[in-house]
Amino acid sequence: MEETRNQRLALQDAMVFLGAIASGTEQAIGESASGISYLAGVNLGKKLSRGVPSTDSIEQALQATREVLEKNDYLWLFEPFQTHDQESLVRRTEQGMEVMLVFRDCMIRQSLFRFGHVQKGSLCNMMYGFFAGALQNIMGRESSLEIVHAGENACYKRLLVRDC
Amino acid sequence: MPVEITVHEQSCRGCELCVDICPTKVFAMDQERRLCTVEHAEDCIACLSCAYICPSGAITQRDFHPVKNFYRDEEFCQKMGKFL
Repeated sequence: MEETRNQRLALQDAMVFLGAIASGTEQAIGESASGISYLAGVNLGKKLSRGVPSTDSIEQALQATREVLEKNDYLWLFEPFQTHDQESLVRRTEQGMEVMLVFRDCMIRQSLFRFGHVQKGSLCNMMYGFFAGALQNIMGRESSLEIVHAGENACYKRLLVRDC
Repeated sequence: MPVEITVHEQSCRGCELCVDICPTKVFAMDQERRLCTVEHAEDCIACLSCAYICPSGAITQRDFHPVKNFYRDEEFCQKMGKFL
């Protein structure tokens, strides 16, 4: 019990530290902070998805990315989402394939709320980077993850996997 | 299972904030009655932004997944031990 309490305290300390670093970097270097978080996410995505079998299927790639997150105990799970007026989950656009994703449990959102930081900041770009890195490994393609809506209980994002 | 959304009609002032904020266009405005109505509950992602933004607290959701406050979750804290 005491050990869990200590782990909780350590986790909260780590969150304060992370939030303070992100907030401080944003103040100090402005928009470039997002680039730093993005690159950190790319490195993480590439590292964790090392060894995942390659595929051209975006559904399989998303499933593999989800499994990577689960396997590493990352509370960053997501699910593809299709509204009633969308014909299919994966849509083809001029730039590539597009899928809408819903993120529910998110370590970053909870950290931001816990310490009063705004959403859509540099830390949120880490997830963009994570997908870019993971999908680069799994599909060998560039991708972007745009935050359409940052909500209190879930976020809605557009994943675009660009054509080669 | 779609999220169950209820709009308390007597509380709704027809400000349309929920219509504007919803990313999946779940709500519509009934212009005659000046009330917001739930048009596509099946599209709700349960972000709860509508409930938070409604000035009269007229919107409630049921049957949705509330996010985990992971720093209060003992099991998750134990898993995070390897990072700390």
